Amino acid sequence: MLPMWKEIRTQWKGYVFVLPAVIFMLILIGYPLIYNIVLSFQNVDLSNVATQDKQFVGWENYKTIAEESVFGISVVNTLVYTVASVMFQVVIGFLLASFFSMKFKLAGFLRGLMMISWLIPLTVTALLFKFMMGSKEGIFNQMLLNANLISEPIGWLSSPDMALWSVIIANIWVGIPFNMLLLSTGLSSLPKDVYESASLDGANWWQKLIHITLPMLKPVILVVLMLGFIYTFKVFDVVYVMTGGGPINSTEVLSTLAFRYSFSDFEFSLGAAVANVLFLILFVISLIYLRMIKKDEAI
Amino acid sequence: MSKRKNWILSMTGMVIVALFLFPVYWMIITAFKTQNEVFRTPPTFFPENFRLDSFLTVISGGVGQYFLNSVIIAGCATIIVLLLSVPSAYGLARFKIRGVALMMLVFLVTQMLPATVVLTPLFVVFNNAGLLNTYVAPILATATLGVPFSVLLLRTFFKGIPKELEEAASIDGCGKVRTFLQVILPISLPSVLVCGAISFFFAWGDLIFSITFNRNQDLWPLTAGIFNAVGRYGIEWNNLMAFATISVLPVIIIFVLLQKHLVEGLVSGSVK
Repeated sequence: MLPMWKEIRTQWKGYVFVLPAVIFMLILIGYPLIYNIVLSFQNVDLSNVATQDKQFVGWENYKTIAEESVFGISVVNTLVYTVASVMFQVVIGFLLASFFSMKFKLAGFLRGLMMISWLIPLTVTALLFKFMMGSKEGIFNQMLLNANLISEPIGWLSSPDMALWSVIIANIWVGIPFNMLLLSTGLSSLPKDVYESASLDGANWWQKLIHITLPMLKPVILVVLMLGFIYTFKVFDVVYVMTGGGPINSTEVLSTLAFRYSFSDFEFSLGAAVANVLFLILFVISLIYLRMIKKDEAI
Repeated sequence: MSKRKNWILSMTGMVIVALFLFPVYWMIITAFKTQNEVFRTPPTFFPENFRLDSFLTVISGGVGQYFLNSVIIAGCATIIVLLLSVPSAYGLARFKIRGVALMMLVFLVTQMLPATVVLTPLFVVFNNAGLLNTYVAPILATATLGVPFSVLLLRTFFKGIPKELEEAASIDGCGKVRTFLQVILPISLPSVLVCGAISFFFAWGDLIFSITFNRNQDLWPLTAGIFNAVGRYGIEWNNLMAFATISVLPVIIIFVLLQKHLVEGLVSGSVK
């Protein structure tokens, strides 16, 4: 008891510095997180959300959502959306990072300029791509038609087969600069002398990439993949604004489904259950990520 | 690098960036077109006659109020973020207190949480607190986006400041609080500014919190306004793109002003 009291007496200022932010996050994120789990085991809809008349129904909500075909579709869509987005973002981001790592005069400036696509509010980006992907007036179809690459306009957002990929394209555009930036930092930290001796040994560009760059960059690439997965998996705005989950659920993802249950159908408990599935998957990925970065971060 | 190679690479870089940012160009250019020209085939890559009509249309349609709301929400959220996260990051970096690892974990995990998970509970909490349909609800909610990011970024920064600086101040008789305010804070200003800017961007871009917590459209920010305008303007893309351009403008201005610091800050804040 005594040492602890002594510690509080000497270090109380530290807590005054640290705790307000911690408490803020615990109230606004920690408590809702737990409440959401409770909610998913109750029967809360519009009729009893503001009353005390809530009952625990066990796994009922999870059974209900699992029986809806749209849930399975959402899980698959979310995975496809995430994996495809992250893969393209990382590959394109890596190519651009390599290009800009050749230290020509405008490299830093141009690389910074690309960040604009990441900073634009997602709602605006989504709307902009919706405009460009319009079947008649959209610039994408107009250019493809003019170049005779297609004979019929593509139903970017109106065709159920195409819509998910169209949303993915918009998301890739948003994420490229961020991936590029992280990979650029990784590239610039690689030791130069390894490349020089490889050049002396007559290694070409491809051999250097496969045998030096990628193996040495592996930790950075893993972190970028994880971060990309975490930030893409919870996507809401892009899908919600571009397609609203349609046509016929072809772009429904877990976050839009949870939102629809909660705030269109006012089935709060069903929405909470879907959100928890989303959370659970993210939680597992986050744990892996935290393990990975813990090595170089002395917490 | 030879002059010629430098020139070729710079030109290639400019072409890449121009192609990549074409959507942004297309947004701005469309805003200056007439409705007729927007639907022209083949499309015009520069407006035939520069018109401000669509800007006037959206301004008379109430874009000013949305803009003001965005400034209020993002501005207040940013202030809250800085007031909370700057001291917290300093405490985590410099005080030997119990539970640092646990508190770091709180920030790391909350940074990764999707808004959807906390949306319904926050709706209920704000409802009980009588905060729905006020600025307070989206301000508090969007501040949660910036706090963890800023704490993690600034902690790394504070750890990098040489301890001798604080030791010298304490010899001069400064207490820890005064040292923080008078010695540490002034030299940290660029990093604090970066956190402020990024928290501002986070809050500025929010859609889901505002449309969920505020049914009262007079309190909506630009993002919610533009989402709603899709219904109002339909396919009047010139008007919508004028709306979009106005929404993006402050972000681009802040970005241009802080570009160098921002790019560095983003990297250290996201990876560490």
